[in-house]
Amino acid sequence: MQQQRAPSPTIFLPDLCGVRALFAVVMVSELLVFVLMLTRTGFTMSALSELALLSLYVQFIALSAAAALCMSRPGLSRLPETWAVLLSYGFILAMVSGVCELAWWVLNPALGDGALINLSHRDFFWRTLGISAIAAALILRYFYVQFHWQQQTAAEARARLQALQARIRPHFFFNCMNTIASLTRSDPVSAERAVEDLADLFRASLSDDRDLVTLAEEFELVRHYLRIEALRLGPRLQVEWRVAEVPLTAMIPQLTLQPLLENAIYHGIEPLASGGIIILEGRVHGADIEFVIRNPFSTGLQQHAGNRVAQENVRLRLAAHFGARGRLTPAVTGGEYLVSVWLPLQRES
Amino acid sequence: MASKLLIVDDEPLARARLRAQLAELAADAVIGEASTGLQALELVQAWHPDIVLLDIRMPGMDGLETARHLLRLPHPPAIIFTTAFNEHALAAFETQAIDYLLKPVRLERLQSALTRARLFTSAQLRELAGDRAEPVARTHFSALSKGSLRLVHVQDVRYLQADQGYVTVNFATGELLIQESLRALEEEFREAFVRIHRNTLVAVAYVLGLERDGVGNCSVQLDGLVEKLPISRRLLSDVRRRLRANAAGAD
Repeated sequence: MQQQRAPSPTIFLPDLCGVRALFAVVMVSELLVFVLMLTRTGFTMSALSELALLSLYVQFIALSAAAALCMSRPGLSRLPETWAVLLSYGFILAMVSGVCELAWWVLNPALGDGALINLSHRDFFWRTLGISAIAAALILRYFYVQFHWQQQTAAEARARLQALQARIRPHFFFNCMNTIASLTRSDPVSAERAVEDLADLFRASLSDDRDLVTLAEEFELVRHYLRIEALRLGPRLQVEWRVAEVPLTAMIPQLTLQPLLENAIYHGIEPLASGGIIILEGRVHGADIEFVIRNPFSTGLQQHAGNRVAQENVRLRLAAHFGARGRLTPAVTGGEYLVSVWLPLQRES
Repeated sequence: MASKLLIVDDEPLARARLRAQLAELAADAVIGEASTGLQALELVQAWHPDIVLLDIRMPGMDGLETARHLLRLPHPPAIIFTTAFNEHALAAFETQAIDYLLKPVRLERLQSALTRARLFTSAQLRELAGDRAEPVARTHFSALSKGSLRLVHVQDVRYLQADQGYVTVNFATGELLIQESLRALEEEFREAFVRIHRNTLVAVAYVLGLERDGVGNCSVQLDGLVEKLPISRRLLSDVRRRLRANAAGAD
């Protein structure tokens, strides 16, 4: 089932028609007015009326620019981002020029020459445009950075969720719940143990995967997992362990082997009506350990995306712990699918 | 009301749970079990259950395909799908099934599904089958012959030939007539078959080679088939490209 999500904004500009955004525009413009007033030399009684007039002027400019961006936002959101940025900057400067000219030709004569503006027309125009250009650039930059920061936060949250789903496959989880529901009637003791096994598996899945655990612990977890699968699949699932060679005190990132066995069962055993055998083999090559997991493979079956997700997850964690010495390579030979995992042999300190 | 119910699931414990729940809901019902799609098809024809509870993810023939074959029967059973996780099944379910249950199934949901299933007549059930392109290619072709369902594995089929509203499915030990459109079949079995003529698709795996006669007409030689099938000039380059790609992929 596809979940309905609120559409996420696709443009860096916030909705400037909203009350909150408009309030922010008014506040920021007023702060700019104060900055401009503070640069004046000397305070006289006329400063108050100057403040009022300057506020009027700056608010006029800011609100017109906000209105222009508000109206053009739907159109801009369809453009590539660079164009949207350049165009919104252009709109702001166009509005500024318009208001500036309006102030010069309408407001200034009405108040009497020199009462408001004691600058030449050219001076007045360029100063207004200059200040506005700097302020607008700062504000747009702020919107831009803010937007991308939010986008990134959302993307990270999605990635975390995907990583979690890669570790706990819903198919496994719900089938397991069904098995437990069934056992609760017929075999409460097995049901109890299945709940305990599942709890251990979940605890491991939710724990911090920066930790290394001993091979003994990882094997224990794998056994719990296989016990659950054995309940579902019965005699269809056979697992052969050939791990006598590897020392149980060797360190391994938690949940390295379990997801690969889960893949082997999901793709190798479940599609076969008569089941099959999975072989888990551990070998020591000098200073490295290699694990090979084999499962039956029939050509008619496609490898699903889920397989890749789990493998990729294990591969990334191996690389994060051991750099180039941690590797994962899948291969198909004859009727077998096999995954080989290499990691350096590190003993518990 | 006594009725016959068939549970199809590859997991014994999943079947056991449904059986226990059904026994609770319909004490007088007769309950059968099958562990694969093919077994379900046999049992339905031999035993004629009224309602089939069909798991979707099963080895071999999955539940969606099993349902498709079941709905070709003259008196198909009402089908209720059961599944643990509803990945991609939803679209297919909407056109084929009476209801759709998520495992672990709740008793109340099971009851309402059974009630719904009993309201459908067999004519309404057959309508659900409808002829349409499948999202996932089937593993078997099926057709009714003398009241029973015949199945042929897709891998055994050498070619498909359209003739007057029917398509002949040719395989090593015989032929099957199915009432489907060649265009839909071409779409569904894109992976394994290639069109060589307006009315013919051949299985790429069975192609031994192409031959050209004195007047420049091309034909294809299939493994185990004496006669050669003509290739239309227009499609020749497509066929060649496809066979080359296949040969390259096999290496």
